[in-house]
Amino acid sequence: MAKITLKVNGEQHSAEVEDRTLLANFLRDELKLTGTHVGCDTSQCGACTVHVDGRAVKSCTMLVAQAEGCEVVTIEGLAKNGRLHPAQAAFTECHALQCGFCTPGMIMTTAALIKDHPQPTDEQIVYGLEGNLCRCTGYLNIVKAVKRAAELQGK
Amino acid sequence: MPAQLRPHAAVDGAGICVMLIAIPTEEKACRSPGRLAVRVNIMDQHHHHFEVGGAHLSRLEDLRLIKGEGCYSADWNLPNQVHAAFLRADRAHAKIVSISTAAARKAKGVLGVFTGEDAVKAGYVKPLSFLTFAGKDGKKANISERPALTADRVRFVGDLVAMVVAETALQAQDALELIEVEYQDLPVVVSPRAAVAPGAPLLHDNVPGNLAFEQEAGDAAAVDAAFAKAAHVTKLRLDVTRVAPNPMEPRACAVAFDAGSGKFTIHSPVQGINMMRMQLAAYTGVADDRIDVVARDVGGGFGQRSIGYPEYVALMLAAKSLGRPVKWVSSRSEGFMSDSHGRANYIDGELALDRDGTFLGMRIDWIADLGAYLHPAGPVSPMRNPVTCLNGVYKTQALFGRWRVVLTNTAPVSAYRGAARPEIAFAIERLVDEAAAQMNIDPAEIRRRNFIPTDAFPYKTPTGSVYDIADFHGVLDKAMKLADVAGFPKRRAESEKRGMIRGLGFSTVIENSGAGMFPKDEARLEVHADGTVTAYSVSHSQGQGHETTFAQIIGDGLGISAERVKLRQGIGEQGLIGNHTGGSRTIVGAGTVCHIAAKKLVEVATPMAAEQLGCEPSQVAYAHGEFKSTASNKKITLGELAAKKPLTVTGEGKFGSTFPNGCHVAEIEIDPQTGVTEVLSYVTVDDCGTVINHTIVEGQMHGAVAQGWGQIFTENVVYDPDTGQLLTGSFMDYAMPKAGWIKDIQIAEHTTFGTISPLGVKGMGESGCTASLAALTNAVMNALRPMGVPPPDMPLTAHKLWQAISAAKKGK
Amino acid sequence: MYAFQYHKAKSLNEAGDILGKDEEARPLSGGMTLIPTLKQRLAQPTQLVDIAGLAELAGVENKNGVLTIGAATRHADVAASKVVQQAIPALACLAAGIGDPQVRNRGTLGGSVANNDPAADYPSAVLALNAKVITNRREIAADDYFQGMFTTALEPGELIVRIAFPLPKAAAYCKFPHPASGYAMAGVFIADTAQGVRVAVTGAGASGVFRWAEAEKALAKGISAAAIEKLTLAADDCNEDIHGTREYRAQLVKVMATRAAAALSGKKLHGQDHIEG
Repeated sequence: MAKITLKVNGEQHSAEVEDRTLLANFLRDELKLTGTHVGCDTSQCGACTVHVDGRAVKSCTMLVAQAEGCEVVTIEGLAKNGRLHPAQAAFTECHALQCGFCTPGMIMTTAALIKDHPQPTDEQIVYGLEGNLCRCTGYLNIVKAVKRAAELQGK
Repeated sequence: MPAQLRPHAAVDGAGICVMLIAIPTEEKACRSPGRLAVRVNIMDQHHHHFEVGGAHLSRLEDLRLIKGEGCYSADWNLPNQVHAAFLRADRAHAKIVSISTAAARKAKGVLGVFTGEDAVKAGYVKPLSFLTFAGKDGKKANISERPALTADRVRFVGDLVAMVVAETALQAQDALELIEVEYQDLPVVVSPRAAVAPGAPLLHDNVPGNLAFEQEAGDAAAVDAAFAKAAHVTKLRLDVTRVAPNPMEPRACAVAFDAGSGKFTIHSPVQGINMMRMQLAAYTGVADDRIDVVARDVGGGFGQRSIGYPEYVALMLAAKSLGRPVKWVSSRSEGFMSDSHGRANYIDGELALDRDGTFLGMRIDWIADLGAYLHPAGPVSPMRNPVTCLNGVYKTQALFGRWRVVLTNTAPVSAYRGAARPEIAFAIERLVDEAAAQMNIDPAEIRRRNFIPTDAFPYKTPTGSVYDIADFHGVLDKAMKLADVAGFPKRRAESEKRGMIRGLGFSTVIENSGAGMFPKDEARLEVHADGTVTAYSVSHSQGQGHETTFAQIIGDGLGISAERVKLRQGIGEQGLIGNHTGGSRTIVGAGTVCHIAAKKLVEVATPMAAEQLGCEPSQVAYAHGEFKSTASNKKITLGELAAKKPLTVTGEGKFGSTFPNGCHVAEIEIDPQTGVTEVLSYVTVDDCGTVINHTIVEGQMHGAVAQGWGQIFTENVVYDPDTGQLLTGSFMDYAMPKAGWIKDIQIAEHTTFGTISPLGVKGMGESGCTASLAALTNAVMNALRPMGVPPPDMPLTAHKLWQAISAAKKGK
Repeated sequence: MYAFQYHKAKSLNEAGDILGKDEEARPLSGGMTLIPTLKQRLAQPTQLVDIAGLAELAGVENKNGVLTIGAATRHADVAASKVVQQAIPALACLAAGIGDPQVRNRGTLGGSVANNDPAADYPSAVLALNAKVITNRREIAADDYFQGMFTTALEPGELIVRIAFPLPKAAAYCKFPHPASGYAMAGVFIADTAQGVRVAVTGAGASGVFRWAEAEKALAKGISAAAIEKLTLAADDCNEDIHGTREYRAQLVKVMATRAAAALSGKKLHGQDHIEG
């Protein structure tokens, strides 16, 4: 067992968990933040993507112990002061979600992508989404949403 | 804006509600002779965006989903719950000699270990089967038992052997390793053609020859005669590979049992709660009203969700036995082994033509690989659906097919987006395309010569379907124009200069939708004092956007904005009858009854309003949520009425089949050095009848085409032919489509209004799969044929195409 | 996963100590390979020693014709580093193509090279650039370091501290990604080094990363796509699975080598893969 302390969506949390606890399971089971989804077990689908110290990472491939002292942002923490993040707004505007399961991970990846690339090219978007799988949308609207998110961010 | 008559409901001879509204001037709609013109020009202006917190909400369900507030099956946590883990067979076919669970029972946190013995004792042994109709020679299917945990032998890698329940999920998984199973290996058969051949290893004692069911349809004699006089016969092997539906949400299930009431509450993904409840009741013998199925958000379905899996039944056993709620969350690897697989239909087809390319007859031999056990509806799709559209979009009269349901040492198969309609469309369109090439007739021209003419609807097909209305010529012409087929030769030459091989192919297809297995569909509307409406439906969305489209339909029917209608799905207490969402039928069934309910609501409320307004019902006019008296200037809103007396109505309807159809054109380029295919252009022209929400229809088309693309180019579930080990057990080996692999899909509509629903809708959720398998394959064949490459089998991976091209080059 | 103890190392010495004393303990860097392995229950370490935060393993420096990168440097940081981009652009480009963005934010150079996955990208760069693997005990030349699939010269408890890449005259990397896993089905790194042209191949070899001697010889007379086009890689040397035969992998190696060579000679060929010169 280990005692870990980390910040999640701006709030400090401390807990005692088994060392083998994954960050994704900690968020979902301990903190009841079920917006972060687990879609696979080979670290490919990206549904579990969160931000750790500002970087998009797959929370299913990190021990919560590795996030000790870090600042984690999940999909629940993206909107600020009742206003949706440009990535969230763009996804609904562009019909870039259907069942919504891959969506939190997609949005977290998008938020990081447009921060690094404020005016992303199609190529940068496609490479940027390589770590996120979707079965419903066929991706075309997701690519549009990333572009739109960058536009909204710029406003 | 076209003129609109006041909507008037009338019932025609067929008992179908018909609306009379002026013909929209911008649509060139088709009339069917002898029927009232059915037009509904309602929906186009309701495709709108509205703002919430600065965002433009495209769909009503989006807000919670983009904030991470959806509720999927693994998100449920029941008070005092415990966790289950499953021990699965590590081999494809073996007798279970013994299972030793003593060590597992003593492990930390373990509360119980269950095996097949427990399932048999409880009587949880026979899943429901919908394969109840007779086949060849009047014989019914040989259906085997399948105890919720396997009792006698394991029949596929992933088969359920035991279940551990512990305080935590990790403890349950740890304890699995302490279970010792002694197996006696048996010979394995993976290929369905091999499984049905003499001498093959037998999976079930009551299924001789691994042949569970056989049927024939059509007229064998007529087909023989057609082939006898044919000027040309095209023959093809048309295997459609096994794929994994892989919705992004892994399966999860939490079951609670209340000993006092004897009621089970099951939280699982569904495509419709009635469909799930019915199956679990049958599997367990528990009465239907003692099972409550609860679902909120479902992370994709595609046919994989409408099954009452044995895992759910085993959890029921555990919950009852332990007196605590039991939760299980599948991993993706577990799912690859044990979620239903899709397609796996192995087809040999022949087309007979006369000199000018007229289709004289078609014959197919179809083997459906259903895996080691029959899923409830798994075998029904390939038996029923291909027969309904056996002639495709053509006037071919002589048709014959033989279908066999075969069992193999693989995971059980069920419906996957299209449910055998993509397969029959693939078979027909490949034969047609190949015949055109062999006879040197333009592929568009050969189709035109054989299309059912636009003035021939309603059209009765040789196998008994009645195609309500369509315009195949119009669809094809539009698609050819949008895809600039005329300019293709020039583009091909340009690709050649760059050393690339370009191809263009298309498909013209049709499929049945609409008819469901439940006696009717129902929708209930409840008006609230504030004038908002709650709608209840049991057709469950897994991404199709029902909360938006149903709200649009109801809002339109009541003349109020869609935002004031809230859909609640999967609420068992409402006791609604209705089909699950599948087969592209929801808009036809559940969607239409939303409209019927809205109209009924106004009818029912009118006399209530008259009473309040102090006039006769005939003096009441309704518009936009408000009743006005024509005698005075008094008015009362729906909400105010509901505040006085409860205002709830149930609309119902039963619908036959309607037939969405379309033409897809694919243009591709193959890199001969690597075999990689790039899709340069993909055009879809679809007739799905009235379009309620263009954005949602486009999204459905994108997703379905992407799935077709995946099946053709990269996806395939592969079992080792000798050992039956699953070689594609994770996303590391099973290649899912990713962003950028299809760069653009052009979507166009060509509407003829369906005649079985007053909305004129036909459904289209699966159309992208139905048309894309053939369109993409025909494009690849068009590219490779000049090199003398014989048709390669699906999937057309880079590896396979490179091999085919290299072989052809060497042959020169 | 099986249960284990997690420990964050306070220093390189401490890490080496723990790993030296407990042979079932494993070092944890980015975790992009180790954690998935543990999740599949394919390994059962007693403890994980987290070395990703060690100062001794950090840093990127270009000095005296050698680019030195700390073992704990994340792929994303190698890709984004102006120092790397200027010193060996092909290396930055290779890093930018590893896995996906989320993996690149966690995975490390040291972790990848210590693991020596036969389809990983970095081993081809280390081998082609004739780099030196510097551990907490010694320096190992690239030619001595890679010893087969998942096998390296590292001894139990030995940790990579940094890798020193001598600056080449020019270099290029081209890879054909696996459609499912994204790993290299064939990745070819060509470097024009002080010791001559070196061609390292990953993804296709039956025994992990290897140098394609024939190609090195052909390019010694001048780097061009044409020189590679005349060659054939023996299929026997390639691995085979459900995704591709030996012959196909041999073909992919040749195509990737051709495109990398073309990039180096200033010509651009068509293709859908990463290419950088």
